[in-house]
Amino acid sequence: MRSSSSRQPSRRLAPPLPRHWQTILVAGYAFAAFSWSMPARLFPPKALLDGVCGAVLNVFGLWQSWDMFSPDPRREDIRVEVRFANRDGTSHSLMLTAMNAMGYGERLQKERWRKFFNDHLRLDDERSLWQPFAEFMVRALRDEGQDPVSIELVRWWRAAEPRVSPQARPDVRQAPWGSYTFYRWRVPAEFQP
Amino acid sequence: MSRGPGMIVRAVAAFDRWVMDPVDPRPLCWFRCWFGVLCLVNVLLLWPDMPMWLGDDGVLPPAAHRPPLPGPSLTVYNACSGMAAIWLIRSLGVTGGLGLALGILPRCAAACTWLAVTSYSWRNPQILHSGDSLFRIAAFFLIFARTDAVLSLPRWLARRLGRQDPAGTIEAPTQVPAWPQRILQLQLCILYLVTGIWKGCGKAWWDGSAVGIVLQMGEFERFPIPDLLATPVMSRLLTWVTLLFELGFPFLVWLPRARLPLLAFGLAFHAGLEWILNVQLFQWTITAFYLLFLEPVPRRSSSAEGERQRPTAAAGTGSVAAAGSAAAKAAPVRASSPTAA
Repeated sequence: MRSSSSRQPSRRLAPPLPRHWQTILVAGYAFAAFSWSMPARLFPPKALLDGVCGAVLNVFGLWQSWDMFSPDPRREDIRVEVRFANRDGTSHSLMLTAMNAMGYGERLQKERWRKFFNDHLRLDDERSLWQPFAEFMVRALRDEGQDPVSIELVRWWRAAEPRVSPQARPDVRQAPWGSYTFYRWRVPAEFQP
Repeated sequence: MSRGPGMIVRAVAAFDRWVMDPVDPRPLCWFRCWFGVLCLVNVLLLWPDMPMWLGDDGVLPPAAHRPPLPGPSLTVYNACSGMAAIWLIRSLGVTGGLGLALGILPRCAAACTWLAVTSYSWRNPQILHSGDSLFRIAAFFLIFARTDAVLSLPRWLARRLGRQDPAGTIEAPTQVPAWPQRILQLQLCILYLVTGIWKGCGKAWWDGSAVGIVLQMGEFERFPIPDLLATPVMSRLLTWVTLLFELGFPFLVWLPRARLPLLAFGLAFHAGLEWILNVQLFQWTITAFYLLFLEPVPRRSSSAEGERQRPTAAAGTGSVAAAGSAAAKAAPVRASSPTAA
């Protein structure tokens, strides 16, 4: 008969494996989500892990990023404007993302406007969005009874103050704005929305 | 056997128990209910702009569409497009949100919500914010969770109609598998840890100017910022507190003594951000995850009414009393910490 002490080592030598598939799922998901959202330079296995897990995260909509205001927040306040001229010679402009000029309810509902226009449309890297947006504006304006013959997209910016103070609050600040027309489209006569 | 491998074996076994030991269903039910309300609000906020963001005649016609990631995705756009897809997303979103909020077929409701959010996320990734990732992830894992034990309209109706417990006692929630709750808890910790690490890579977060810069951005302003906050001293303080909180939360939340103060601080922190920053529902969604860390006080057993059930050590140190707890079957609560497990 074996003594209890002789049985003990064999029990300890059990491989360190979890007993349930759910445990593997939880641990695997945690590693995959962590790797997916980490900066590449701080997490060397990222390329390997993302390659293995990326397709699964994509299929199930579990991709994620948690880098808001980082590594550094943008140092410019941004707005995007659309200017258009009608066939009768009148011209108008729409400031799309003057968020703090909106009412509280409107700015809450239109937060995705800021995301689309300020974070994507205004960027040169996202110029593939410009023409589809200009065409959308023509369709939307024609639905409102306008007859636009040209569309201009304008980005506005003003830099953050080097020193924070109550006068730097966005609602009271007097800093000058810069602007740049980053896209112009003369609507062809044959354009049919 | 050397000490190192033995520790690994024990750690794996402890993690396995932490994931697999059944838990009180109430935190998941509270989360499901509040999360459902937020999903519903999210769909209603998006509703009027859906044709613009998602339509074939919108800002991103199919020819200009780029999916967020290459490869296959499970979305409604595999079956339809245009306004049909928009109405399907709206229907799924409202049905899912209501189902989750009211506890009506909560797993189906979670699947509806997940499909709706994943579909609009795939169709126009340029309109997404961090809250959308939380919606997708939480809805996906709620598909696998049993969350109809409390805050459930069908259960309430059944009780009112006398179909259950004719003696008039309230049926106790039975324990449920822990792993969906664990995965959502870990998700919140990953969120805080990773966002803290990202911020730690930035110069402005070290020199204390980051919050001061953000406070000057009119595009993010929700309500007017008090003058008290718009000073260099407060900018430094708030910047460093943010960094410390985000890096500390994933570790401190597992300590029973630190949990409640940490969650209370987190609520105040996100309430402040909600005042300052217009990021739609993100602050509400992230704090909804806090419900998953609450440990309900064990209910009294109906079979031994009058006898107080002995609370666990974890519940005694970090629990929140469940309001209106009634006589019910015993539902022992386990620690929600791998160390305590």
